[in-house]
Amino acid sequence: MKLSAALLAFALTCAAPALAQSRHLAPGFAALPKSATVVLMPADVELFSISAGGVFEPRADWTEAALRHFNASLAEKKRALGVPFKPLTDADLDQFAELVALHRAVASAIGLHHFGSSALLLPTKEKRLDWSLGPSVQAIRRATGADYALFTWVRDSYASEERKATMLAFAVLGAISFAGGIQAAYASLVELETGRIVWFGDLFRSRGDLRNAESAREVLDALFTDFPAPR
Amino acid sequence: MKRRQFLSFCSGCLFAGLANAQEWSAPPRLARPDVASDEGGLWALMDREEARLRRSPFALRDPHLQRYVQDIACRLATEHCADLRVHLVRTPFFNATMAPNGMMQVWTGLLLRVDNEAQLAAVIGHEIGHYLQRHQLDRLRDVKKRSAFGQFLGMFGLVGMAGQVGLLAGMFAYGREHESEADRIGSLLMRRAGYDAAEAANIWENLQLELKARGDGEQNSPLFATHPPAEERQAALRRLAEAAPGGITNASAWQKRIAPYLREWLGDEVKRGQHEESIALLTRKIGSYPANAEYLHARAEAYRLRAKGEDLQTALADYQVAASLGGEPAETHRGMGLVFRAIGDSAAARTHFQRYLEKAPDAPDAPMIRSYL
Amino acid sequence: MKVLVIALALLAGCASVAKLEGERTVGERMTITLDGAWNQVNAPGVGPADLWTLEGVPVDRLLIYAGVKDGQPVHTQTGGTQKHITFSSRMQPEQIVAMFEGMFTRDGSRFRLTRLEPSSFAGNGFRFEYALTRSADDLQLAGVGYAAVSNGELFALLYQAPRIEFFPRHRARVEAMARTVKLKD
Repeated sequence: MKLSAALLAFALTCAAPALAQSRHLAPGFAALPKSATVVLMPADVELFSISAGGVFEPRADWTEAALRHFNASLAEKKRALGVPFKPLTDADLDQFAELVALHRAVASAIGLHHFGSSALLLPTKEKRLDWSLGPSVQAIRRATGADYALFTWVRDSYASEERKATMLAFAVLGAISFAGGIQAAYASLVELETGRIVWFGDLFRSRGDLRNAESAREVLDALFTDFPAPR
Repeated sequence: MKRRQFLSFCSGCLFAGLANAQEWSAPPRLARPDVASDEGGLWALMDREEARLRRSPFALRDPHLQRYVQDIACRLATEHCADLRVHLVRTPFFNATMAPNGMMQVWTGLLLRVDNEAQLAAVIGHEIGHYLQRHQLDRLRDVKKRSAFGQFLGMFGLVGMAGQVGLLAGMFAYGREHESEADRIGSLLMRRAGYDAAEAANIWENLQLELKARGDGEQNSPLFATHPPAEERQAALRRLAEAAPGGITNASAWQKRIAPYLREWLGDEVKRGQHEESIALLTRKIGSYPANAEYLHARAEAYRLRAKGEDLQTALADYQVAASLGGEPAETHRGMGLVFRAIGDSAAARTHFQRYLEKAPDAPDAPMIRSYL
Repeated sequence: MKVLVIALALLAGCASVAKLEGERTVGERMTITLDGAWNQVNAPGVGPADLWTLEGVPVDRLLIYAGVKDGQPVHTQTGGTQKHITFSSRMQPEQIVAMFEGMFTRDGSRFRLTRLEPSSFAGNGFRFEYALTRSADDLQLAGVGYAAVSNGELFALLYQAPRIEFFPRHRARVEAMARTVKLKD
């Protein structure tokens, strides 16, 4: 079974439907405190083009555009949410390499076992968003003065023109159409006192476009479902 | 591109004589490609991988060794030296790569295996050849035209770190034409930098020895997945070398340079648990350096762990030679103790365990060894 | 690791996670009393050890070997051309550790033994600690293992988790469980 088709099937049939608010929020966490500052970890974004043969090819221009739109939409969002974000540069990341690697692993676990197929839910978590990196994250707070950290990760792929043509040809022949592209993204809000992940946004679908400003806004809105804006 | 056509047109005549070979000159320095191009995409991705590599625990951050390898690479690359950045990576697999953005990786499995500076120069020169001729881009363009589901994994990190050998093999497995071209250029760069080009063929011969040692008929090993040795390439490299004999190998300078790392890299090799390959490699090294206790100790360990047939006796013999040479690691005595214990000589076992504990009282397995006394 | 995670995501239809508590029998001969509840992951590609986790497969893993026989491999038979790492009933503790070392380093990860000592695990076994640097994502893990050979079969518990936070958080539970392991003849 083609990997891309399998993924699409997975996305459409096995991904848990959007449930009550609590799926994205840690138990007992509803809103950021009014005075909270959030440090924005450099977004980890890669965009790929899928050729006719199904090869994922890196696209620097798309990635650059996506980063621009992503950060711009993020800036809009932060104004809308009324939360002060402090950006962290890529160079600053060096001192937090191990924490970032740790977070990536935990985010994978959340993506796999909390937002993924219901077959992979961990019974001991009892459907709660209950993961914490522990107090080691205080190193980030000491360095930045922020109370929370926002991590984002996007892997996105779009069908190239050749691929769209191929898909069309297959459709005409009556064959099953396969994915034109998969968008996988997460955003995670970590409390920098306890290391608790208090909010987690997860996207896994086959639509959405980060390459232009308009649709990038849509992607961000979808990703930031139930973001706990201060009240 | 004109130069590329020149080279492929001339592939036959390059073997024929020195004159034609000397007409090849490196292309001008590679400019950063347009961000919208496929080449631009690859560069940008490699830039991010390089940033990750800098932070990685697998990066070997010894400035002296790094500078030494960087100097060799620079001499080979001449005017392209400024675009090249050498990164040493600690992993027992044999590999050196160069990405289109100038990032060069040399893995410690390679550093362990080459016999001298010339052999290292051969591999680096070969990689520079791929870089100058933009082979990786060709490869990407080629692969795009064909179905390749394994490439999906690239979505989660195109160039993995050490150990993602399966992915790398797919990414870096250049076609035969590219390999020949890189060999030719590498050979040329070697000779111009003063190295003995005959050493290039020797590396592949040595790798073949390791592969054949497997004994299960398997002709491939992830060890060399990115640089599969092939008979025709060896023959071609020999011919290239015959056209211009002479040049340095710097074997003893090389051996001195890596001496501080030998124990660590040998340990990494033995840990793989691929005993046949390790024994073949170590036997070759012992042949060249019969008075080096590190190689003897490592081979003894491999025999002891394999423990087939006469292996324990063979291990003991190697340990004993290592001990008699002096400078042997404390683990030599542990190894002897374990072998004596296995064959039932408790008195000898005791002696050597005590020796080990004297030399390394804080060893991680000291509590275990003490329990044997 | 990446491959396992992706594989799990894809094969979700064939995968399941079960909650485990109390006293459990693993394999034919081993019983273990759990400390709290654990999650057992069942999926094609997982084996021959049972795979348990608290935080999820990308984060922490408890491998349980309950009766590996002479000559059997200790890891999944993936494609690829490295020789499989197999168990031999004649193995001494150092060789069993070397065996696991070979298993963990197949993908280029780096293993370093930090402790090896005798233990009353399963009657007459040994205990070891290790540091693992994962090649897939550069993550630094800490691990603890218990093993014993009984009637020529290997029984072992190996637990590893990120050295920051997760290993310190959960190790005591694993150590407590190891003390409860009993073998039947």
